[in-house]
Amino acid sequence: MQELLPNLMKRLPEFWKACGDTLLMEVWSGAIIFVLGLIFGIILTVTKPGGIMENRPVYQLLDKIINLFRSIPFIILLTALMPLSRAIMGTAIYVRGVIVPLVFGATPFFARQVESALAQTEKGLVEAALSMGSSPFEVIFRVYLRESLAPIIRAITITIISLLGLTAMAGAVGAGGLGDFAIRYGHDRNMQDITWVVVGVLVAGVSIVQWLGEYFARKNTH
Amino acid sequence: MIELEHIVKSFHSDRNSSAQAPVFRHWDKQLVCYTKKIVGASTIGGELVRPEESGKFEDTRIPRLQSRGVCQKDKSIHAVNDVSLTINDGDIFGIIGFSGAGKSTLVRCINLLERPDSGSVKIDGVEMMTLKPRELYKARTKIGMIFQQFNLMPSRTVLQNVAYPLRNMTREQIHKKVSELLALVDIPDKENAYPSELSGGQKQRVAIARALANDPTILLCDEATSALDPQTTGSILQLLKDLNKKLGLTIVVITHEMEVVKNICRKAAVMDAGRIIETGDVFEIFSSPQHPVTRNFVRTTSNLSKIETLINDDSPIVKVNPGQVMARLVYVHADVSEPLISYASRAFDIEINIVLADVEIVAGAMIGGTVVIFSGSSERIDKALKYYRDKNIRVEVIKDARITA
Repeated sequence: MQELLPNLMKRLPEFWKACGDTLLMEVWSGAIIFVLGLIFGIILTVTKPGGIMENRPVYQLLDKIINLFRSIPFIILLTALMPLSRAIMGTAIYVRGVIVPLVFGATPFFARQVESALAQTEKGLVEAALSMGSSPFEVIFRVYLRESLAPIIRAITITIISLLGLTAMAGAVGAGGLGDFAIRYGHDRNMQDITWVVVGVLVAGVSIVQWLGEYFARKNTH
Repeated sequence: MIELEHIVKSFHSDRNSSAQAPVFRHWDKQLVCYTKKIVGASTIGGELVRPEESGKFEDTRIPRLQSRGVCQKDKSIHAVNDVSLTINDGDIFGIIGFSGAGKSTLVRCINLLERPDSGSVKIDGVEMMTLKPRELYKARTKIGMIFQQFNLMPSRTVLQNVAYPLRNMTREQIHKKVSELLALVDIPDKENAYPSELSGGQKQRVAIARALANDPTILLCDEATSALDPQTTGSILQLLKDLNKKLGLTIVVITHEMEVVKNICRKAAVMDAGRIIETGDVFEIFSSPQHPVTRNFVRTTSNLSKIETLINDDSPIVKVNPGQVMARLVYVHADVSEPLISYASRAFDIEINIVLADVEIVAGAMIGGTVVIFSGSSERIDKALKYYRDKNIRVEVIKDARITA
């Protein structure tokens, strides 16, 4: 081991910490993104023209905001949101400092994913539910969310995976984590074994998330 | 009792039109004039008769007319246009019309899935249009609805689907109620199946059970049998008939299939271009349709209309020899029980050859007629025709090959 991965073995504690940091970023920002993205995705679905709570101003506003944030490259968002991050989290670096840009970067993406997942719900199901006396809120929870559980799980899978890419990028501006670890040692000091191991860890992470997502999605398809 | 008064509902906005909206405004003026032309066009004999300058509006533009923008400008385009209708308790009421006549929109105006632009919807005397949202949701639980595509929730089992509209009940109560409902629609053993495992007829039975979960007094059927094969259609219609009898359920049936109306409805309304053009007992509508569209509709279901095709094709079956008369005899009254053909043949000493016959039972009475060829002397044939006319049988002479003196 020592011979195969000389640089990594010397920095094992730092490596474990980097893994932990990445996981921490993923979990914290992921949780917030999940809640916000789900809410925005639902709002988009129900307020769009022909939706059950049709509301043109709300839809247009949200639609435009999401487009705006989706078109800003994440690396720019990272630096541009530093002041906001300082205001909210008290710092613009390390794990705490990167949650805000991660949320801004991935929520619009997830909201769109949720929107397209919910759009797969047949209009007839909504109509049937309304004909049985369901209120719009009931339709959201008992029809939209329930019936598109499988596509929503797939949306979550994709978002978690793309979030992993974003956290690595965040490493470049002082967020810590595996991205930072790989750049500092693997790239800057040309320690190839560290680059390979980090890539390996990320591949494993992505595979596990993908597998779990597929498993639960299939379990919810009848 | 369902009372609809002066219901007007414009076409809903084109769902994806937002992106095209600016283009639209530019076209508005021209569109309004296209609109008028299309309104001017009418259906005669089932074919769209376009106005003289029909070449001027391309088909690609027609869908745009359904946009709200235009509707607001030009009030003459409506999916449902000034419809008034009363449906009595316990009736099985059919609303028939060709696709696009506005039937589905009209039936959705009853439970306000589509809110009419104006008019009044009263159910058992309660005005639906002024109900508060909560009251409306509650009122809807008493109006069941089933659909062409069944609309069962694919992630739920049959049990969970039927239990969907049940509220404020314990698990045992729900289970008991669902079992009763499934027994009622004759699929007691499918509780734990998923909709994807059921046949079309079974799915519709589950949908009916679900629609009946809150013991509604009204059941709306939107093309409920149109996705089913004829045999399954028959069994579902039989089920609806039974439910009507057993539960006193008022059933409103929307369909483009005359067979369905013939089979179960007592009363019916015929819709065309957003209006009700004819309404009354099903037997009357079938035996003596008043409006051209209705006539066309009835004709499509009768074998007797085949005679025209046969004549056009110069088929040997319809060859009329000199001295013979070919006529269509249509029964328009509910009391055809006499042996009309054999009686006339004997009484007037003529030969009557039946070429085509089509007699059906509609709303419990016989309807239909025959196409026959008379051979015999001219006067005796005249006497026979007069005899039929006196018996209130509609006589249409198709070919007369008698030598006119």
